[in-house]
Amino acid sequence: METYAAVLYYLAELLLGTAGFALLIAAWSATLALSYTPLVVPLLIGLLFGVAGLAHAEAGLARSLLGAPVRPARPATSGGFWQRGFRVLKARAFWKQQAHLLIAWPIALVPLALLSVALELVSLPIWYRWTDSSDVFGLFDVDTFVESLPLALVGLAGLVAIAHFLGPWTALSRRLAVGLLAADGKARSPRELRVLRLRSLTVGAVTATAVAILLVVTWALTNQGYFWPIWPLLSLALVVAIPGWVVLVLEHPLPRRLAGGSTWLAIQVGISVLITAFLVGVWAASTQGYFWPIWPALGLALADAVAAAVVFAHHQHRIEALETSRAGAVDAQETELRRIERDLHDGAQARLVALGMSLGMAEQHVGSDPEKVRELIAEARLGATEALAELRDLARGIHPPILTDRGLEAAVRALLIHSPITVSLSVDVPERPPAAVETATYFTVSEALANAIKHAGANRVEIRIAAVDGRLLAEVTDNGRGGADPAGSGLRGIRQRIEALDGTLRISSPEGGPTTVRAELSCAS
Amino acid sequence: MRVVIAEDLALLRDGLSRLLRDNGFDVVAAVRDGDALVHAVQLEQPDIAIVDIRLPPTFRDEGLRAALELRERRPETAILVVSQYVEPTYATELLADGRGGIGYLLKDRIMEVAEFVDAVKRVADGGTALDAEVVAQLFSRRRDDGPLEQLTPREREVLGLMAEGRSNAGIADELVLTVGSVEKHIANIFMKLRLPPSGTDHRRVLAVLTYLQQAPSDD
Repeated sequence: METYAAVLYYLAELLLGTAGFALLIAAWSATLALSYTPLVVPLLIGLLFGVAGLAHAEAGLARSLLGAPVRPARPATSGGFWQRGFRVLKARAFWKQQAHLLIAWPIALVPLALLSVALELVSLPIWYRWTDSSDVFGLFDVDTFVESLPLALVGLAGLVAIAHFLGPWTALSRRLAVGLLAADGKARSPRELRVLRLRSLTVGAVTATAVAILLVVTWALTNQGYFWPIWPLLSLALVVAIPGWVVLVLEHPLPRRLAGGSTWLAIQVGISVLITAFLVGVWAASTQGYFWPIWPALGLALADAVAAAVVFAHHQHRIEALETSRAGAVDAQETELRRIERDLHDGAQARLVALGMSLGMAEQHVGSDPEKVRELIAEARLGATEALAELRDLARGIHPPILTDRGLEAAVRALLIHSPITVSLSVDVPERPPAAVETATYFTVSEALANAIKHAGANRVEIRIAAVDGRLLAEVTDNGRGGADPAGSGLRGIRQRIEALDGTLRISSPEGGPTTVRAELSCAS
Repeated sequence: MRVVIAEDLALLRDGLSRLLRDNGFDVVAAVRDGDALVHAVQLEQPDIAIVDIRLPPTFRDEGLRAALELRERRPETAILVVSQYVEPTYATELLADGRGGIGYLLKDRIMEVAEFVDAVKRVADGGTALDAEVVAQLFSRRRDDGPLEQLTPREREVLGLMAEGRSNAGIADELVLTVGSVEKHIANIFMKLRLPPSGTDHRRVLAVLTYLQQAPSDD
């Protein structure tokens, strides 16, 4: 049974692998051809999802036919336009999935080829008569039934051998599938990445220098004459300079700042300059004459100009969006302040006035009517207690004390104490985010939870809060009836709070549920 | 009875000292931050320390942390934590070590002088005092299928007062009942909540709190 499953797996892999191979070749040619235009980003994202889809199918096959415990990584892209493209290239799962796609089909081919040969031999007694003699693999001359029998026996032995050999072979396939398709175990920390980057750059530079010295020494020791090492030296310089520039952009803020805050643009312009310098070097080292490098240089300059225009247009758009949300936040803040002022005026202040009056009257009656004085003082004390309670509620609505004291997780847990329904909570925030981000996230969760209970009639809520890549994500999902109104005052207030911090709020609440509220904020602000 | 006070606002620190002295307490030290509190308690060895939660330098839960530290370093000193707000989370932390001699009250309660003085004495004697507001917040987490729903309204009243740390006699006074019928109610409550019967007052509070504090996601 396992043998058949394995054969089925390899057949499917062969088909998938061929399709995948064709896709990779086509997609990468297009991506590389357009790599100097903004089109590269949608292409890369498309490729990411294409590869992920194929990997998903492959993982499904490995799981059902080979019993390999594989859950493929889900593709994730977020961030600004250029960042997205860059993140695709940085995703390790993306590269590993492609590696599997390329390796898996030659691996499938081996047992399938052996199997087809063996089957051909076994069935030889049946079909020999339809072939010309000397046609069996061009090696054997089979003309009669009797002559075909030994070969059929060889085929049979081959089948048995294949059945045995298939076990270890599928074990290899299974390990490959688990190793290359499963979601990444542990991501490297930014610090580790930095060390790794600097180390590989140093190793590259040292190696290149050593090779260069070796070449020049070889030239000097041999007959000298034409300085041929210029060609490998030029290439080496380019090969070291490009990663050097990339690391420089990643490590130092200056080039990025000059490029309007876009890492990708800074890298692209730098690489263009380096390539142009390389071509000019080639021109100078060769026959010179007609200055042909002007054409690629112009092409590169054009691509850079387009990319820069896109980056700055994107910036402009973001500034406008920020201005709008800022105005909204100022409005929301103004409304909120007016509400607090009114609450103070009608509540605590009025109570303190009444308290003062009670005490004043008590003062008048001291000595004359002790019973009346006692009554008035008791009244005053009651007034003070109520004023305190009102002030406390007001303060809690502005900023819950436990949020200041203990941070997001403790504050959200404290919310759940009052929750009449089942709530599951997972919080993965190793460091406390800035206070404004914490507060906005807290009120988002609090509002979503209150809506789930009050309006959606949910009886289960799931809250997930996590810090990922310097961003704080909060997601509240309920099993209620859905149909939440994003324009309602509660959710609108939350949106204004979030957008004022340059974050995003997504609300999905189809009629019939479920409702998901998802806030995403940068922790760097 | 020797008392140490930790409160950063001079107005409240002096007011509280005066109120306690008027009621026969011996205020041996009044300090304004957590470190000074730990130092003063070890030096003066008072019967009870009255501690504000928000203290310098962070104005977060410094006082609570100092209180928890004192619980470990000098268990003989009872602690009464007072604050402008109450959090059930903090109540759990204060009661976590399962010993008596602990209290957690809103500052508002100081105005009801007789009751406040009573609570200070109770805590200093090894009892508990939990603010009615904390108890109410814990009770507000009602679920239709919860065992709390099996209690009669009177039993809920008794449970609330018990959680505040009142003695059987105190509960009887408050609800105008005989001590005997209070005891009967308490036996019923423990049975309905399936809690093991226990002796001293603060053990009862702990049993009730343990029951009430079960995290909402655990079931």
